[in-house]
Amino acid sequence: MSSALWLAVVVSALGTLLMRVVPFLWMQRRLNSATGINNMPQWLGILGPLMIAAVLGVSIMPVNPSAVSWIATAIGLSVTLLVWWKLRSLGWPVAAGVAVFGLVQVIAYI
Amino acid sequence: MNHFANHSPIRHAFKGVREAIPLLGGYIPVSLSFGLVATQAGFSMWEAAAISALIYAGASQFLFVGMVAAGSPLWLVIAMTLLINVRHVVYGPNLAALLPRSRHWPWLMHGLTDQVFALALTRLPQLPAPERFGWFVGASLLAWGVWIIGTMVGATAGETLTARWPLLGEVMPFALPALFLTMVAPRFTDKRWALALSCTIIAALLFTFFGWSNVAIPLAAACGAICFYMVKFQTRRCNP
Repeated sequence: MSSALWLAVVVSALGTLLMRVVPFLWMQRRLNSATGINNMPQWLGILGPLMIAAVLGVSIMPVNPSAVSWIATAIGLSVTLLVWWKLRSLGWPVAAGVAVFGLVQVIAYI
Repeated sequence: MNHFANHSPIRHAFKGVREAIPLLGGYIPVSLSFGLVATQAGFSMWEAAAISALIYAGASQFLFVGMVAAGSPLWLVIAMTLLINVRHVVYGPNLAALLPRSRHWPWLMHGLTDQVFALALTRLPQLPAPERFGWFVGASLLAWGVWIIGTMVGATAGETLTARWPLLGEVMPFALPALFLTMVAPRFTDKRWALALSCTIIAALLFTFFGWSNVAIPLAAACGAICFYMVKFQTRRCNP
C-alpha cells in the first residue's frame, strides 16, 4: 500500500474510533455531573433496543437467498424462539436454531 | 480466597469470552470473506489484517477495499467509510450507565461493533456491577481477535476453504440472527414496543433485500422510532 492509502486507513480508523469513544465518554460525564442532568435522554434509550432489532433484521437475510435458505431461516428462527421461550437463556436457543437451520440446508443439499 | 477468585477480573473476562462465542458464527465467515475480497482487490495478507485490526467495522471495510480497487479518490473512500460507521455514535451512550468509569475506555471502545453492542446492552444489566468491565473486555477482545485472524486465514486460504466446505459459509452465519432474536424477544413487553420492534426488523430486512444493507441499520431504527412515537395504544377503561 502507498503511504497515501495507509493515511486513508488511519484516518478512517481514527474517525470510527472517535465515533465509538466520544459519545460514550460524554454520556458517562453527563451521568456523573453535578449539574442535575443525570438521566439519559429518553429517545436514546428507545434507539438502543431498536438498533438491536435492526441488526437482527439485517442478519436474517440468508447468505445465498433461495427458497430453501428462506425456509431454513424461518424454521431455524421458529426453533430458536421456541427453545428461548422454554429456557429463557442465550446459548441453547442459538445452538438449537443453528443445528436445525443446518439440518434443513443439508437435507435440501442431499 | 474463594471470594477473591469469584471477583477476579480474569474470571469475568472469561465469562465475557464464553458468552461472546455465538457471535463468532457470524464473525468467522464474514472475516474469511473480507480476507478473500481484500487479496482479490490487490491487498496483501498483512495489509488486509491491518485494515481489520484498525478500522474493525465489517460493512465499511468491504466498501473501503472495493472503492480503493475501483480507483475512487481517497477523500471519498474516507468519507463513505465514516458515513457508514456513523451509526456507532448511538451505541456508546446506551452503555455509558452500565459500565464503570475507567481510563482504558478510549482504546477499549474500539471493540464496540454492532454485535458486541447488542450483546452488551442485553447482558450488562443482568450482571453485577463489578463483573461488567471484565465481561466487556473479554467479549470485545475475543470478537476483535477472531475478526483479525479470520481475515488473515481468508486472505491466505479463503478460496480453498469455501470450495471445500461450501455449506459451512451458509450455516455458520445463522448464529447471528438466532442470537439477536434471543436478545430482541424479551423486549416485546407491550403492544407499542412489539409494533416498533417488528417495524424495525421488517424495514431492516427489506432494506437489505433491496441492496441497501450499508444504511439498513440506522434507517430501520429510525422507522421503528417513528413508529414508537406515532402510534400509541389506548388502554380500555370499564365504566362503572
